[in-house]
Amino acid sequence: MRLIDFLKDKFLLILLHIFCMCTLGIFLHVTGYSFSNLILIEIFWLLILGTWLLVTYIQRYCYFRQIEQTLDRMDQRYLLGEMLPDSYRLEDKLYREMIRKSNKSVIEKIHQIEDEKKDYREYIESWVHEIKMPITSIALTCENRRRSNVEEFRTIGLENQKIENYVDMALYYARSDEVYKDYLISETDLQEVVYEVLAKNQGYLIQNQVQAEVDCPDLVYTDKKWIAFILNQMILNSIKYRGDTPMFKFYTTKQEQGVLLALEDNGTGIGESELARIFEKGFTGSNGRSHERATGMGLYLCRKLCQKLGIEVWAESIIGKGTRMILDFPISSYLSKL
Amino acid sequence: MYILVIEDEPVIRKELKILLENALYQVTALEDFDSVAEQVIRKKPDLVLLDLNLPDVTGFDICTEIREQSEIPIIFLTGRTDSMDELTGMLKGGDDYITKPYQAPILLARIAAVLKRTRISETKESTVLTCHGVHLDLVHTCLEYGEKRVDLSKNELKILHYLFQHAGEIVPRLDMIEHLWENQVFIDDNTLSVNVTRIREKLKSIGVTRLIETKRGMGYRV
Repeated sequence: MRLIDFLKDKFLLILLHIFCMCTLGIFLHVTGYSFSNLILIEIFWLLILGTWLLVTYIQRYCYFRQIEQTLDRMDQRYLLGEMLPDSYRLEDKLYREMIRKSNKSVIEKIHQIEDEKKDYREYIESWVHEIKMPITSIALTCENRRRSNVEEFRTIGLENQKIENYVDMALYYARSDEVYKDYLISETDLQEVVYEVLAKNQGYLIQNQVQAEVDCPDLVYTDKKWIAFILNQMILNSIKYRGDTPMFKFYTTKQEQGVLLALEDNGTGIGESELARIFEKGFTGSNGRSHERATGMGLYLCRKLCQKLGIEVWAESIIGKGTRMILDFPISSYLSKL
Repeated sequence: MYILVIEDEPVIRKELKILLENALYQVTALEDFDSVAEQVIRKKPDLVLLDLNLPDVTGFDICTEIREQSEIPIIFLTGRTDSMDELTGMLKGGDDYITKPYQAPILLARIAAVLKRTRISETKESTVLTCHGVHLDLVHTCLEYGEKRVDLSKNELKILHYLFQHAGEIVPRLDMIEHLWENQVFIDDNTLSVNVTRIREKLKSIGVTRLIETKRGMGYRV
């Protein structure tokens, strides 16, 4: 609050005073007061008015400063109504009451939305668990008839697996905000996780003539399930944007600060201009448009989950040569001290 | 090996039974879910596959009941992918926890792993396979024919092992590749051809010709 603004706000009051001073001056002059006395009275009047304005200004300034500071420090600003300082002024009291009421309705609205969101998330989770039953039935049925040399069962099996993956994405997306509820951090053998993800996509990979090399001897501390999901997304991407003789390499490198897990492919690669954006939500890029339809959700989810797990993820790529996705598992200095 | 399947979803139950029977296990699937624990104890299986969501009762409770009387290995099967559930499963005495939809190879591998862990005395597979006078030594990873021998690479050994196990049959290329993938050799069709050619050369060097036949459009046969 600047002084000039304050004075502008008090413009009417000042005008009234000036008017009164003039009227008094004319009245005193007419009734025969000497000019010097008149000036003295007017100066006193001005002095009192000035002091009064200054004191009010300082008071108001402090009051609003306090509110601003409170607001800056607050995490949830819509709760301001509860934090407003006491004031003897009627206007302040009225405003405070009104802000409180308005805040209350905001809070109610927020709670309602949170509840709805929770309900929705819970519904998605239970829906996913239900849909997994028929998916399992189909998978088993196809598996049992796979050797009967009926090509259709292989195809159905593969398509079923795509459904499974999309369903999983929905589940992980629904859960990604509350990862902490679903952690099980343990010593994880990355080799085992990679094997599992490869086995899961075996049919799809073989169909696309993929070769793979796995060399991941290093152990990390993380949640196996989430890492498997992240790797799964990356493998599916690598298959989608594969080259002529697809070759996937998985390897870990131990570093002072942690372990790096890399997935290298020799696919179409990603242009430099797009590389920075591939983890954004809904970003499909030129590859996504020219190949199979991309949703732009896979890598976005990967990055989101990685952030929650404390893993850094990035990509390196040369167009036409391939892409390398890297996951950086930090070794917490706190953990290693224990 | 006798496996008891406790699963309330009829289609999954039926297919699971077929899958396990194809994998040469003896299987019973429970269809009546009253006093499951008692039935389990009575049937004395080598392994129990237990679904978590059963009518009226959860798999965890059944597991607890079984554990009071027996140490039968139990694998939980569930559609829930919750870490808390997994942890509870382990604390209740489950030996493994597999989430639906399970991939058949993974399921079978996990069952085999649990059985292996719980039964130390398992009949050992013979380490030398013989076919048409050619010996495949799995321990020393080599081929022997008469006095001569030649070393094999890991991939070549796995290819020959599968062919020798199915001696006389035509092994489709896709089956072969799937088998290799299940054994952590991730190769494609062309590389399989390259490997087979290399095996043929090695066989030639010890004086064996025409051991592996190529059936055009079908696969290989030993």
